[in-house]
Amino acid sequence: MSHTLFHAALDASLLLCALGLLWRMSTWYRLRIGPDVQDVTLVHRLRALLRGLAAALFTRRAFHVGAALLLDVLLQRRLYRSDKSRWLTHLLIFVGFMGLLLMHALAAVVTLKLFTGYESTRNPYLFLRNLFGAMVVVGLAFFLFGLRHRRRHTRHAPARRPRDAAFVVLLGFVLATGFLLEADKIVSPQVFYRMAKEFNGSADPAELKPLRAFWASEFGVAFDDLTVPIAPDLLRQGRAMHEADCETCHAGAASAFVSYPVSRVLAPLARVLDAGQAPTWLLYLHVFACFIGLATLPFTRFYHAFAAPISLLVNGAGPGRALSSAGRAVRRALALDACVGCGICDAHCSVAPLARHLDNRYLLPSHKLIATGELTRGRLLPSGHPTDGARDAAWRAAEGAFGCTDCGRCTSVCPVGLDLDDLWQSGRADLARAGLTAPAQWVRARPALAWAELLQSDSWPRSFFDPDARDAPLSADRSSFSRCVQCQTCTNVCPVVAHSTDPGSGVDLTPQKVMNLLRLGLRDLAMGSSMVWSCATCYQCQEHCPQGIRVADIMLELRTLAVQRLGTVRSQKEFS
Amino acid sequence: MKYALFLGCKIPSRLPAYAASTRAVFQHLGVTLLDLDFNCCGYPARSVSRDGFVLAAARNLALAGQAGLNVLTPCACCFGTLRHAIALLDEDAALRARITQALAAEGLAWSGAIEVEHVLPVLARVIGVDALAAGVRAPRTGLRVAAQYGCHTLRPSNMARFDNPLAPTIFEDLISLTGATPIDWPRRLDCCGDPLHDANAPLSETMTRAKIADALASGAEVMCTACPHCHLRFDGVQSDTADASIRTLLYTQLLGLALGLPAKSLGL
Repeated sequence: MSHTLFHAALDASLLLCALGLLWRMSTWYRLRIGPDVQDVTLVHRLRALLRGLAAALFTRRAFHVGAALLLDVLLQRRLYRSDKSRWLTHLLIFVGFMGLLLMHALAAVVTLKLFTGYESTRNPYLFLRNLFGAMVVVGLAFFLFGLRHRRRHTRHAPARRPRDAAFVVLLGFVLATGFLLEADKIVSPQVFYRMAKEFNGSADPAELKPLRAFWASEFGVAFDDLTVPIAPDLLRQGRAMHEADCETCHAGAASAFVSYPVSRVLAPLARVLDAGQAPTWLLYLHVFACFIGLATLPFTRFYHAFAAPISLLVNGAGPGRALSSAGRAVRRALALDACVGCGICDAHCSVAPLARHLDNRYLLPSHKLIATGELTRGRLLPSGHPTDGARDAAWRAAEGAFGCTDCGRCTSVCPVGLDLDDLWQSGRADLARAGLTAPAQWVRARPALAWAELLQSDSWPRSFFDPDARDAPLSADRSSFSRCVQCQTCTNVCPVVAHSTDPGSGVDLTPQKVMNLLRLGLRDLAMGSSMVWSCATCYQCQEHCPQGIRVADIMLELRTLAVQRLGTVRSQKEFS
Repeated sequence: MKYALFLGCKIPSRLPAYAASTRAVFQHLGVTLLDLDFNCCGYPARSVSRDGFVLAAARNLALAGQAGLNVLTPCACCFGTLRHAIALLDEDAALRARITQALAAEGLAWSGAIEVEHVLPVLARVIGVDALAAGVRAPRTGLRVAAQYGCHTLRPSNMARFDNPLAPTIFEDLISLTGATPIDWPRRLDCCGDPLHDANAPLSETMTRAKIADALASGAEVMCTACPHCHLRFDGVQSDTADASIRTLLYTQLLGLALGLPAKSLGL
């Protein structure tokens, strides 16, 4: 391969990679997630970065950083705790890839400097190259198998990302061309003659006959002009020539325990491959695939090899430390970037059954993180006149965000160590600022009468079937509230009513009045009442009702109805 | 004796001392607590979807059923919600059919045989007040304690089956055996205000402060809780105020101290 071309391509790839990394890192300093970091400027963040770096390197925190580097980044302690089979997959790919990168790709700058006798065709290097390659291939197979398994068995699998496909295709291609190249070089007479000329001083087939015989039988070179069987005498001569000129640099081809078997398949094609210059273009394909991988690194899954360690180190550097607002700003934006989309958080999510039931993937952390990023970038709810689809997606995202119970499991299992707890809290605050709130807020933002009027004008196909009988059986069944005699016991024992001395306290009707609306057939009016959402669910009313009416249960049913019914009319009116 | 320990969403991340003290006390009493892969009890989903809430609860019960264990929870809200779901599944055949179908998709089944218990009744009735009293090594003599019952352990009483909902005594009995003095306070059965924390913050705070003021006025030194929501609510409101405040203590911590367990093992 031409040196000029190689170096030009390498330099170009490095430059593209560096520019891409800068672009992606710039989001850590541009994005503002959470109301508490809206005023943080770029200068603040850079200063926080420098302070953090200085503290990480020159104070006692250096110890934490070192420990995080070893345990969390290299040994993937967090992933081991969360999911052992994926830890093994990661280990195979990571060790194999790093082995290939350092020992093979960077041989000139790493291996040669450390081991003076390095030759790619000697052991242990020949064997190790095959071992590392095989590790990556097996790891990739595990990865694809696990991905397929999760997609089949998980209702809301992590989002498909083109960057994952690019990663698998590129890495697979580099490995495949690498093994094919090595296999082809094993069988290629052309490569044999080139080497012979260089180290033996001759490329004459007749003169090299003994060496050819030896290499055909011991190294698998596929000459098509050798007579079989080969005479033992000729072999002996060949061995002598081999020992004189070749042995110092060549271990037995069988050490290439992947490429050698592949070369047996290629052997019958050796002449065709040579005629087509296969060793040359396989080399070009292999090297240029690596360069493409390098140039596109910031935009494929390879990027996590950059962002994830930084995230782990940042989180490992300050355990439980209260950060400055600039530090929080960087850490949150970094979280969006460092998420690998592994979905381990989703598998441990406390509200996963609800996500399945409501068919809302935004309840799950990996999807919620994407929605948080879209909100921050102004893509979740575009300004101006968003389409119905965009509005619906935005409200689904809000339902997901406010459905979180803050159990903190996603944070504790995240292999990249993201502080998701903090991200969800700031994300919810941002949603609320964008007018996307929890039901208790958006229902109470409008008086009950206004909701009832909206519902009147709505074309809900009520006549076909009444879904309420299933989802809200008490409020749909007159017998569950018709016994109410309006004695006011429920209101008298209600702590919410008792403490609502101020008219602005959010209590428009007393519980007994809500029951009366139901008796009058005004359920639409009842479900928009703010009392329904100010109920503390303490069950004093239900416990004390002399008529045995399940007052609190009915209040909770009215909430679910409001979420469904008012939710459908809300979007239509709110933004138009 | 063995239970599946249901910690719920709040305890592991916000109140780990409750998990630690519960484990320490029950270990001391020879009760094995096992951790299963539980999800949210379903309480927060009650405002969103009835089926969703029952499904979340039923999934937990099905997991416990699979392990052949009854459920023990230190959280009043999880306790109330899980028992509520059991009652709904018992009374509504159509709901039961839908939930059974949803669980089957995961290879789980609703058996109906699993019992859900709260920490307090297990201590008072299964271990027994007398047995506990016999084990007290460091009585908290003279400590004046207000029992914070929590709503969902008591009500609705036909589903919770915890104690007399209008005049419960179980918490006071458990406090007495530690040597401390349970005080009588008018607001002892009131809501702590936590469920309204997000929906109506000012009202929620008014309710919490009213309880704290009442306990202090009634002579309490300590507010004893048996629910992470109540506990965190009192601590949360008192963390940013200059008003008179009351010390909070989890019942498992109070009992652990009386039994002579090291304070560190109780998260103190």
